[in-house]
Amino acid sequence: MNIMIYDEQVRATNAICDATLLMLEYGAESILVEQTSQRLGKALRIDSVELALLSSAIVITTFTNSQTQTVSISRRARDKPINMSMICDIQNLVKTFENSPSTVDILVERIKKIQVKTYNRWLVIFMVGVSCGCFSHLHGGDFGACLVTFSVAAFGVFVRQELSRKRFSAFTIFSLTPFLVTLIAATSQQILPLSSTPDIILVSAVLFLVPGFPFVNSFLDAIEGYMLMAWGRLLHASLLVIATSVGIVLALNILDLKAW
Amino acid sequence: MNLLSTLLLDSIIAGVASTGFAVLFNVPAKTLPFCAFTSFLGYITHLVLLHLNLSPVVATFFASLIIGIVATIWSTKYSVPRPAYTVASILPMFPGKYAYLTIMALLEMSSKGISHELTTSFIQNSLTVVSIVGAISLGLVLPSLYFIRHDRPVI
Repeated sequence: MNIMIYDEQVRATNAICDATLLMLEYGAESILVEQTSQRLGKALRIDSVELALLSSAIVITTFTNSQTQTVSISRRARDKPINMSMICDIQNLVKTFENSPSTVDILVERIKKIQVKTYNRWLVIFMVGVSCGCFSHLHGGDFGACLVTFSVAAFGVFVRQELSRKRFSAFTIFSLTPFLVTLIAATSQQILPLSSTPDIILVSAVLFLVPGFPFVNSFLDAIEGYMLMAWGRLLHASLLVIATSVGIVLALNILDLKAW
Repeated sequence: MNLLSTLLLDSIIAGVASTGFAVLFNVPAKTLPFCAFTSFLGYITHLVLLHLNLSPVVATFFASLIIGIVATIWSTKYSVPRPAYTVASILPMFPGKYAYLTIMALLEMSSKGISHELTTSFIQNSLTVVSIVGAISLGLVLPSLYFIRHDRPVI
């Protein structure tokens, strides 16, 4: 039996809580979040780690000294933009730490070293523009439609980045962006008709707002038994879809699109 | 020959499109080629099945099933979570056109009044959206049911 003093257990629980919280905030599925805490706990020679997951918070309890000494920590989870490289980094950290277990201090140091990696914002704007142009080709648009979709979608991503940099809520971002995108796409078509398939532009230019991650994660959580998380994520995805539709409908109503 | 080249070209375009969306979700750079490949594989299955006169729902289901299987195998091999591969890859099959037609039918109903054609269009399009989205999620989820056991880590 290994004895762990109380202070050390508190620090260990804090470190595990940090890693787990990062996983949850950056959009990992629930089973990964739970296994992160349990694998780190095992590597730190803690008897068992129990985790309660909510969409907005986590509660984590560690048991040591033959289940006689417990530490519980609850922490608030904030809504952050999806970042897969962050999750891969933490997953790698868990794997390397599991293979060569060491002290709590080293774990804390390694978690501190993990930085949020994002692509260059102009690269993102260009790539998503190209993607939406490709989608408009796949949906049957002509070359003019692809061109207009590229520029309008690139502008949309720029608006989205600016809004999220100013810390607006997701609902605002997901309704204002499609509003502006639809408005500009339709107006440009009335001033300079480059395409004979204008509907395709409106369809493809807002495709970067589809909340794929919450939706797929919600289904994965549901089959793995995390019902509360699944409902939370499904509601999140549905709210974003509703916000997007509100933006599109507002723009279409303002323009009165029956004209073309 | 002509058909084959169209299929290949469209699938390659779908692969490029998915890579762009993977960049939006900050997928690590060395995973991007895999995303493009899963998307290519899924979309070409989708197109071939559509050419064999299967319904869009069935075609989408099998395409996303293939994406799900490949993603689950790769996620255990390279320790990258499954959604990193799948979410960007299914977007080319997302029924955006039908969702748009649903919204348009709804708008026209509210401005012009309810008619038989508009109601038909609304119900038909919204049903297509719901069933295709359901097919996508079922196809993605089924492979994990086989690969995930309770006695071992996911990735």
